[in-house]
Parts: sequence; structure tokens; C-alpha cells
Amino acid sequence: MNIAPRYLGRGSWLARRDPRTIILVVALVGITVIQIWDIRIVLVFLAGAFLWYRSARIPFAMVRRQWAFVIVFVSLIVLWNTILTGGEIGGFERDDMHVLFFLPLLGTPISAEALSYGTTQFARFFTFATLGFTMAYAIAPADLGVSFARLKVPEKFAYAIDLTFRFMPSLATDLQATMDAQRVRGHEWDKGKGGPIAKLRRTVPLVVPLTMNAIVNAEDTIDAMDLRAFGTGRRSWLRELIYDRTDRIILIGVVTLLVAFTVLGFAGISSKLYVFPFLLALPAA
Amino acid sequence: MTTTTLSRGGLWEVNSRTIVYAAIGAALYGVLGFLISIVIPGSNNVSVRPAYALVPFFGIAFGPIVGFFTGLVGNMILDQLTGYGAFTAWNWSIANGLAGLVAGLLAASMSDRLRSSSGRIIGAAIIAAAATLIGFLFVFTDIWVFGNSFEAALTGSYGFVIVPNLIASVILTPVLVAAWEPLKDAIGR
Repeated sequence: MNIAPRYLGRGSWLARRDPRTIILVVALVGITVIQIWDIRIVLVFLAGAFLWYRSARIPFAMVRRQWAFVIVFVSLIVLWNTILTGGEIGGFERDDMHVLFFLPLLGTPISAEALSYGTTQFARFFTFATLGFTMAYAIAPADLGVSFARLKVPEKFAYAIDLTFRFMPSLATDLQATMDAQRVRGHEWDKGKGGPIAKLRRTVPLVVPLTMNAIVNAEDTIDAMDLRAFGTGRRSWLRELIYDRTDRIILIGVVTLLVAFTVLGFAGISSKLYVFPFLLALPAA
Repeated sequence: MTTTTLSRGGLWEVNSRTIVYAAIGAALYGVLGFLISIVIPGSNNVSVRPAYALVPFFGIAFGPIVGFFTGLVGNMILDQLTGYGAFTAWNWSIANGLAGLVAGLLAASMSDRLRSSSGRIIGAAIIAAAATLIGFLFVFTDIWVFGNSFEAALTGSYGFVIVPNLIASVILTPVLVAAWEPLKDAIGR
């Protein structure tokens, strides 16, 4: 059983970037977009995020399911939010809103403002997800630990991330062995009658031995680390990470955008909802 | 039968033991979460993840730092494995981590009161439930991150995650604690 993040962007322009650049772009652009409610600006960021994603050359057929989930999930959240708020938007008086129609059965008023808000929410979500995909597919799994260490995440924490990835293949093998052993005894967790709780109880013969074995076997790793005096001095990493000129230009760009839109947000320019004029031009219900 | 040996002085200590147990917890969360989930019939793809029970368990058994790391990094790795990216739902990963942290803190503060074996198992269920309810309050940051309303964050985020995680943790965490108690004595923890 092979369990590891799929490194689908291998060899692409994006994967050749320093992995810290990919992590920082996701984080900094994410923080920037959170502050923006003008959809014209969000769409520019979404286009940029999409170009960034395209540079990872991730085959669509391999991520079709993830895109479908994101589209369905984001649509549901936006719709749910609109229904629950009864079409109300912060900063707008209900009487001042340009109501276009009412949702059938629920009677929720859908205004030009609510539609603009929902569309902006959708675009923001989509920007986060598009950027998030690059982190999932364009960073070599083995580089995550050293990347976080070089980003000044506490060294022991970064080492624990590295160790997590090293434990996963053996734990997946142990889980498969446990499943096979229980199946030989006639126990199959996903077969049989009962609802979710009955199914959950049937996972006990898998989860408990797997967890307890992992903890007991961890003692060997702890001993090995103690014998090598782990934690007594600064740890070095075999993998060297170096920002090249392109990485520096990208990082200067995203930091500039973050600063600029933070200022514009506080000035109330980019943080204000943009209502589509063509919706306001439609006849009110 | 010994009681939990976490002392307040050692609660925040990070040594090789903390690192390895944290990594084991996160790796287990990732592997189990990726392979085993139970969809609740009739719900909109809401699933119970048995792996979540590991978060309060690692907090209870090995302390708040291990619990925090198991939840935070475990959920990030699960998001990496499923292809959505470690940072896409960063606030949900922090909520997972906080649940482990709270479980560890509650276990340490209640260790004197939970002396009997049955008391520790019942206590584990209560701690797991409380840690889940408290830790996942952090998903209300969806209001700021995604612009959701309070009602949408309450029902669409908090309620959405609390119900399956409570089911998983209240049932499985005590089972894990019951299995760990004799083992802990046997390996001298």
C-alpha cells in the first residue's frame, strides 16, 4: 500500500522553485485575498493563482475529483450562507438592497448585493483552493520538513514533520497487514449490518492494534535518537535550499501585494464589496 | 496500577520522546484518515473519521504538545494526501491541534482525580468530548477567512465537524486509553 502525497508537478517550472517560495506564496497571497472584497481585484488574484497553478503542469485527469469536490463544496457553503443570512449582507441596510427575486419555497430575498457577495465569496474560496493545490502537488514530500526548518519553524517541530512522512509508509503497511489478519479471522470492518456507529465499532480491531504497535515500536526510534544525542545541538539537514533570482522576485512581489492591499483594506478601498452594476440595472422584484 | 505520570513541570518539555510520539500520532492520523472514513447515510457527504479519535488520545496519553502536533500536522498531512493542500483549510488544522492541546491539558489537570482504571476510561470520553467542543471553536474563524455569517459558521462549519468528531472520539478514545493503560505499565511509561 503506497501512501504519500502525489508529486504530480515533478519537473515543472513551479516544482523547480525553492519549496519555501511555494509555501510562502500560498500563505502570503492567502492573507492578502482574505482582506479583499472587491471582486474585480479578487478575479485578478484568481487569474494569477490559476497561472501559478498551470505552471505546475498538474494533469487534470489526476485531480478531477478534487476540483469537483471544491466546486460542489464551495457552492454549497455560499448557498448555505446566503439562505441562513436571509440574504442580508453586513454593511447594507435591508431596505436599501436591490432585491431581484425570492428563492422558491424559502422566500429568501436575493438581491444584487447578495449575488455580488456570493460571487466574491466563491472567487475567494477558489483562489485559496487553486493555490492550495500547488502546495499539495508541486512540493516533493521529502522537502517539507527542511522547508519549514528553513522558514524558522522551531527545529524540533520541523524534524517531527520530516519524521511523520518517514513513518507513513511503514504505518500504511502495518494497517494493510492488520486488515489482512483480521480478514483471515472473518472480520471485515466495511462489511456487515448497522449504521455508522456499528461501522465505527468495527474499526476498533484495526485502530487499536495499529496504534499500540506503532507506539511500542516508536521506542526503538526514541532510543536511536537518544543514542545519537538528539536535541543537544543544532541539527543540520542534508538537503540545501537556495532561493534563486526568480524566487526572490516572486517573494518581493507577493510581499509588496500584501503590504499594498493591507493599506488599501484599512483605507476601505479594496475591502468594500463591489456590487455588479448590471445587477443593479435589472428590475427589482 | 499506576496513574498518569505527567507532571506540570514536564508538560511543555520537548524531547526525543515528544518528537517521536507526535510524529507517530500525525502519521497515524494521516494514514487512517486517508483510508478509513464512514459516510453518514442521508447526509451531504458528512463522514465519521475514526482517525480523529487519535487526537484526544495522543493528548491524553502523551501531553498537550503531542496532542497539538497530532491534530495540526495530522490534518495538514491528510489534506496533502487528499490533494487539497496543507494550508487550504489551515484554520481547521489549527482547530484539530487545539482539540489535542485541550485534551492534554485537561488530562494533566484531572490526573489526580482519575485514579481508578474505570475512572480514567470514563474520564477519557469526557475529556475527548470537551476537547472537541472547545478546540473546534476555532473554526468560527471561517467568519473572517471566508466571510461566512455566524449562522453559517455555526451550522455549516462547527456543527458539520462537531457531530462526527464527537461520535468518533467518545467511542474510540476510551477504547484506546483502555488498551494503552496496561501497555504503558508494561513498557515503563
